[in-house]
Amino acid sequence: MNNPAKHTFYFLIGIGTCLIIWLFNLGTGSVIIPVSDLVKRPFEGPFPREAWEIILMEYRLPKSITAMLAGIGLSISGLQMQTFFRNPLAGPYVLGISSGAGLGVGILSMAGTALGWQTMVGYGAGWPIILAASIGSILVLLLIGLTAWRVRDSMTLLILGLMFGSIASAGLHILAYFSEAEQLKMFMIWSMGSLGDTGWDQVKVLAVAILVGLIPVILWIKPFNAMLLGENYAQSLGVNTTHLKWVMIISTGILTGSITAFCGPIAFIGIAIPHIARMAFKTSDHKILFPAVALIGTIGVLFCDSLSQLPGSYQTLPINAVTTLIGAPVVIWLIIKRDFSKEF
Amino acid sequence: MRQRPILSAQHLTLGYGSHLVTENLSFELFEGEITCLMGPNGVGKSTLIKALIGSNPPIKGDIILNGKNLNHFSRGSLSRQLSVVLTDRIISGNMRVKDLVALGRLPFTGWWGHLRTNDRMVIENVLQATHIEYIKESKISELSDGQLQKVMIARALAQDGKIMILDEPTAHLDLINRFEIMYLLRKLAKESNKAILVVTHDLEIALETADQLWIMSCETPLTCGSPEELMISGEINQLIPGKKWGINSNTGKIELNLPFQYPEVIGPDILKIWIQSAIKKLHPLSLPPHLIIKAAQKPFSIEVQIGSINQAFSSLSEFTAYLKNNFKKNS
Repeated sequence: MNNPAKHTFYFLIGIGTCLIIWLFNLGTGSVIIPVSDLVKRPFEGPFPREAWEIILMEYRLPKSITAMLAGIGLSISGLQMQTFFRNPLAGPYVLGISSGAGLGVGILSMAGTALGWQTMVGYGAGWPIILAASIGSILVLLLIGLTAWRVRDSMTLLILGLMFGSIASAGLHILAYFSEAEQLKMFMIWSMGSLGDTGWDQVKVLAVAILVGLIPVILWIKPFNAMLLGENYAQSLGVNTTHLKWVMIISTGILTGSITAFCGPIAFIGIAIPHIARMAFKTSDHKILFPAVALIGTIGVLFCDSLSQLPGSYQTLPINAVTTLIGAPVVIWLIIKRDFSKEF
Repeated sequence: MRQRPILSAQHLTLGYGSHLVTENLSFELFEGEITCLMGPNGVGKSTLIKALIGSNPPIKGDIILNGKNLNHFSRGSLSRQLSVVLTDRIISGNMRVKDLVALGRLPFTGWWGHLRTNDRMVIENVLQATHIEYIKESKISELSDGQLQKVMIARALAQDGKIMILDEPTAHLDLINRFEIMYLLRKLAKESNKAILVVTHDLEIALETADQLWIMSCETPLTCGSPEELMISGEINQLIPGKKWGINSNTGKIELNLPFQYPEVIGPDILKIWIQSAIKKLHPLSLPPHLIIKAAQKPFSIEVQIGSINQAFSSLSEFTAYLKNNFKKNS
């Protein structure tokens, strides 16, 4: 709305940064592929070194796309929740939505073992996991919604989210307790978060799920702006807030659910990125904020993923640990330094 | 004769679910007039407002807006008829004034919320009408309470409905801003022929600016009339539950109903009022029945006659000290 030229400039800087980090992300890891070769790859066809070709096409490219999708989905979930709950500390991880998704996946994989399916990540199938995780997320959102819908107090909402998240985690732990050793290990790895377990098949499924999750947001972008004034004002502007509530629940459920299903819980992206976007773009207009949040989220997760692949080493740090190590201080800084009421 | 009301109701019953809050409300709201809804806390003012903006429909009875039942309006079409200024806090400090005002055009824009030439014109006009053009680039977090209230009024105006409802727009404001806001509303009602309903506790300002008062009290459901009519008939006293307090029908001020009639002061009006006010503050006093107080200005003097004894004072504080020392009743 204000100063479109400045916003365009910021978007261009963001896209540039995103491309640079993407190239860096594709190039680093146990085997380093020089950026100059990466840039030539689309024009000159496959690398002469077959190892590079396999690493790039079968591993790093799908992984980086997963990272981008995760960044977009989680940040947009976070922005929706913060606007809807009018709470600057809301986010899919903090409010236990990720735990709900985890419980969904856990129940599915238990049922799968009992019925002889192979459903856990890395074994093909995509849709059942996404469905289960989304249902888990939506259930937690509904519970929070039922209990805390009219709560204007930030603390109550956060505590309720923490409680529902704890209940979901407890359920997940009970499931893990009764699991076979191999499954337990798989669950442990899943819970640390990983972007690298997705092949092209899963990336396609994930991309479709993210797209489906974004559609309601795009259709309801105007009501989100009205919601900035609070539920009562939004209603007086002709917005059906009950519809908007469902838009938020379904969109956030699908976005967070599908990402959590494939990558495990990824903390702090959903809560921190919207604040960074508001600070950078100095606006609260969702027509600017939604794309801005998607762009910065993409950069954020790509950046964290690049950090997690220690250059020159075969080891990869769990992505959830990296996003927490970076995201938590950002949130702490936000709470201490910034007056939320002025930045929101 | 006045034109027909834009908003009216007969014998409304309001409440939440099965919980009854108030019943038998009848009222009419007219265009070009400012109406103040007054009444003690908890009497159902908010419930009435919620009914009027369609968020809590009446249990019994119909509200008629522009000849049509309010229940038959969709949210969208109601938002083009009626706008509100609520007491809800605005937490989006990042938003600029002009963007907040532009949100008022939301009911008129398409899916993307794009502002057309007409929308921009309306926004410019309301910024001018509310005298906030000079802050249109400011962030919400930088505004004073009085400025923010004007911005919220501008936003409601941009919605361009016939009716505007404001819930305590002058609470938390300083003295001058209270008057400014109410006179601004009065000007808007007259100039753009809007029906403006203001919930307020500010009796003094309401008496001065309102065309109509709606008084809600616990005993009688809703009394409507011009402030002057209600003042003359004494119905204005319904604002005040109990017998302890009353509204002085000469000054329009709320006063303690004292059981004892204090003596009249003879002299110019200004001295009469303020000397009597000073005497009342000394309550309880036991003054002799034949006490006469005379006052004069330039030079200031107060003379007290009790039978044949005369006492003269050259300042008000000397006079009050004398009363206190000689006639103060130990309660």
